[in-house]
Amino acid sequence: MNKLILKYAYPLTFALLMLLAWVVYQHLSTGIMPLAVAAVIVWPTATFLFIYFWPRLILGVYKKAALVKGFGDGPIQINTLYTQPQALFADPLHVTLPPGSSPLMSYGTNLDTLYTVGCLDLSKGSQVLHVPDMAGRYYAVQFTDPSDGTNFAYVGKRTTGTKAGDYLISGPGSKGTVPQGMKQISSPNNSVLVIGRVFVSDDSDLPNAYDLARQIQLAPPSPSRSS
Amino acid sequence: MEINYGPYAQDMTNILAWLSSSGVVQGIIIGAVLAFITFQVLARTKVTKINGWRTMYGFGVPGNGILLRAASYRLFPGPINVPEEAMYWTTSVAGAGNYIMHFPSGGLPPNDAFWSLTMSDAKNDFVENPIDRYFVGDRSGLVQNPDGSTDIYLQRSAPAGHESNWLPTPSGRFILWLRVYIPGAAILNGLYQVPPVVKVN
Repeated sequence: MNKLILKYAYPLTFALLMLLAWVVYQHLSTGIMPLAVAAVIVWPTATFLFIYFWPRLILGVYKKAALVKGFGDGPIQINTLYTQPQALFADPLHVTLPPGSSPLMSYGTNLDTLYTVGCLDLSKGSQVLHVPDMAGRYYAVQFTDPSDGTNFAYVGKRTTGTKAGDYLISGPGSKGTVPQGMKQISSPNNSVLVIGRVFVSDDSDLPNAYDLARQIQLAPPSPSRSS
Repeated sequence: MEINYGPYAQDMTNILAWLSSSGVVQGIIIGAVLAFITFQVLARTKVTKINGWRTMYGFGVPGNGILLRAASYRLFPGPINVPEEAMYWTTSVAGAGNYIMHFPSGGLPPNDAFWSLTMSDAKNDFVENPIDRYFVGDRSGLVQNPDGSTDIYLQRSAPAGHESNWLPTPSGRFILWLRVYIPGAAILNGLYQVPPVVKVN
C-alpha cells in the first residue's frame, strides 16, 4: 500500500488536488468564505505541525515496533538491548523473520553492520551501558532523542575508542553521582533510542561480530558502586 | 413518536448541519492537504543532489533546525547517523542495461572506517545473483585500472575480464546505497563528489 502510494505519488496528488478544486468550485455559488477562512488558517498551522512532529512520528513508529512486536524474538523489553538475528544477516534473501515480528529493522539493504537496538526509560533511574573490547573493530552506539530525532551522544570507535568500558546514561532530572571509572552521558530526555552498529567484515567474521554485538549490554547501576 | 434529546441536541444538530453545508470541513481538509504538500516541497529543498545521488548534510545533529530534522527523516525514515559517524547517498537507476561508476585515481570515498556500495531492487530488497555479491567496497577486492582509477560494473550478467569489479543488478530498475563510515574531511566539507552512474553501450 505504502509502496503504491510512493510509486504513484504525482498522479495521486494531482487527482486529489483536482478533487479539492472541484469542491471549491461547488462552493463558489453558495459562498466561499467559510471554506477559504478554514483553509487559510489550517494550511500554515498544519504545515508547521507536520514539520515539527515528523521526526517524532517516524521514531514513534520505530519505537512502537521495537516494544510491541520486536525484530525477531518478540517484544524488546524496555532498558534492554536486542541484536538482530545472525541467520537473517547471513542470508537476508531466504531467511524470514518469525510471524509477528516487525520488518522495520531488516527493511533496506545493509550488510556492513549488525544492528543492536533498545529503548531506554530513565525516569526511574540511570542505566549503565557496557561495551566489550572491540579490538580495533569499527562499532558505534548512537543515542537518539525520540522527541526530535537528534543524536546527542555516541560511544564507539570514533568517539571513545574500542576498549571495553562502562557508561552511565542519566536522564534530565538525575542527581546521582557517577561511579568511579565510568563516563557519564547526559540525556536531554528520559526516553532514549539506542542504536548500536558493529562492523561485519565478511561471512566468516559474522559469528565473531555477533558475539561482540551481544556483549553490548544495559544494566542498572549496581548499588555498591553508585553510593 | 418523538424522542426528546434535550435542547443541546438541537444546537448540536444545527452546528453539524452548518459545518457540513458551509464548507468549513472541506476547508480544513483542503488546508491539511496543502500543508502536507507544502511540507514535502520544503523538505525537498534540504536535499543535496549531485551526479544523480541524493544526500543530506546535518542529519541528527542537535540544533540542526526543525526543517532540516523533518527533511532528513523524510529522506531516510529511520534513526541514522550524524555526518561525522556516517554519510549516506542513494540513487535510483532505470535499469535494463549496463552501467559503470568510474572513480578517478585517489577518488574512492575518503574514510577512517570503511565504505560500501550496496545494490537493491526497486522495492529496496537484496538482489539474487549467481556470485552472492550484494555490495562492493573497500573489503571486496576491487581491482584498479592501470592509471589508478577504479570502475565498478553494474549489470545483470558478468562483465568479461572485470568480474572482480562486478556488482550484479536486477533486470529492471535498481536503487544504490553508498555508505561511508567515519567519512574524511573532503566528504564532510562537501568537496567530495560521488561519481555518476553512467550507462554504457
